[in-house]
Order: sequence, then structure tokens, then C-alpha cells
Amino acid sequence: MPSTTYLSNPVVTINAVDMSDQCTSAVFTRLIESLESTAFGQTNRSYVGGLENSTLTVSMYNSFAVSETYATLKALVGTAVTVKIKPTSAATSATNPESTLTGAYLESLPIVNGQLGALDVIDIVFTGGAYTVATA
Amino acid sequence: MCRHKVRTLDMTYVIASARLGTIGDNFIVTDDLNIEALIEGGFIKSTSKSTKSDKPTKDTNEEN
Repeated sequence: MPSTTYLSNPVVTINAVDMSDQCTSAVFTRLIESLESTAFGQTNRSYVGGLENSTLTVSMYNSFAVSETYATLKALVGTAVTVKIKPTSAATSATNPESTLTGAYLESLPIVNGQLGALDVIDIVFTGGAYTVATA
Repeated sequence: MCRHKVRTLDMTYVIASARLGTIGDNFIVTDDLNIEALIEGGFIKSTSKSTKSDKPTKDTNEEN
């Protein structure tokens, strides 16, 4: 049994715009590339940390209405932008830390992902940037 | 040949969408934000009226 639980309701901001009410999934992953440092004489592989290449992957309902998904993202493709996520909408704290990627790159933007009888949902990925975390 | 005037950093903006905060409040610009994208998306509006423009202007030095 988990020692702490919370309903998943993260706050996602993209270029300072709160897109939480358009999101259905958000995955923030810190990734620091591994560089192999194994040398002769060793009996196991060893690694050291390389460059950080963290990602934020967000699934969002697509919308072309004013101030919604398309309006937020259309000018960001091919640019580096600041994205933020925190676990809940409560105040930022040590138990609700806000993670930020400053200068994360948005490589692609699906314009339409339509299926008969289904809402248009797009997945976007922000890659790289400088990671920081705020606890206050 | 056309030239585009460049927005300057001393421009001020107001919030035009509740997704950014209270509509009508001043928007604090920071270096890590893409201001052009916020303007294009209709999230903020410039409070400056006469000094800046994105419209191309005729280059008066152009040879005919």
C-alpha cells in the first residue's frame, strides 16, 4: 500500500499558458545520458553521467478555439520554450514541487489527429532544456 | 525591398486570456518566454500604440 496518494491532477504550463484543462496525460522524465566508462580489467560495465536531455510529454485535446491548444502551440514549433509541471494545483511546496524545463525544444505539432467518433487528441513532446525545481 | 520594424524590450503588455492570469493585469515579461507566440495566440496585448509595428515599410533607399 502506498504511503502517500494523490489524485493525478497536474498543472501544466506551456510558455506561461496554463493548459491543464486540455491535458489528459503528462509525463515528465529527467534523463541524463549515460556515457560508458568501462575500461580493460573491469568485469562489469560502468557509466558516468553525460548531458541532461529531459522530456515532457503531454497528451492534449486539440482545439482551434480562441486561447486553446492550437493558439498556444502554433507559434512554438521549432522553438525552445519554457514548460512547467507540478503534481497538483496546490501551492508549490516541498510536497508539491514545480519542475521546469527552460529552453525545451518542440520539434513537431500534430495539427489534426481525427478519428470517427473520437475526440481529437494530440501528443506533444518537449525535449531538452535546463531542469530546475521549485519547492516554494 | 521591405524592412520590418523590431519590437523593443521595453514594451508593456496586459493579459488577454484567463489562462495567463487575470485579464487586464499587467503581464510580466521574462527572458524565457516567447512573447511573439503569446501575442499571436491572443494571450497578451501590447499597451503601446504608436511606436511599434510589424507591418513592412517601404525602403526609401530602394533603387527603381
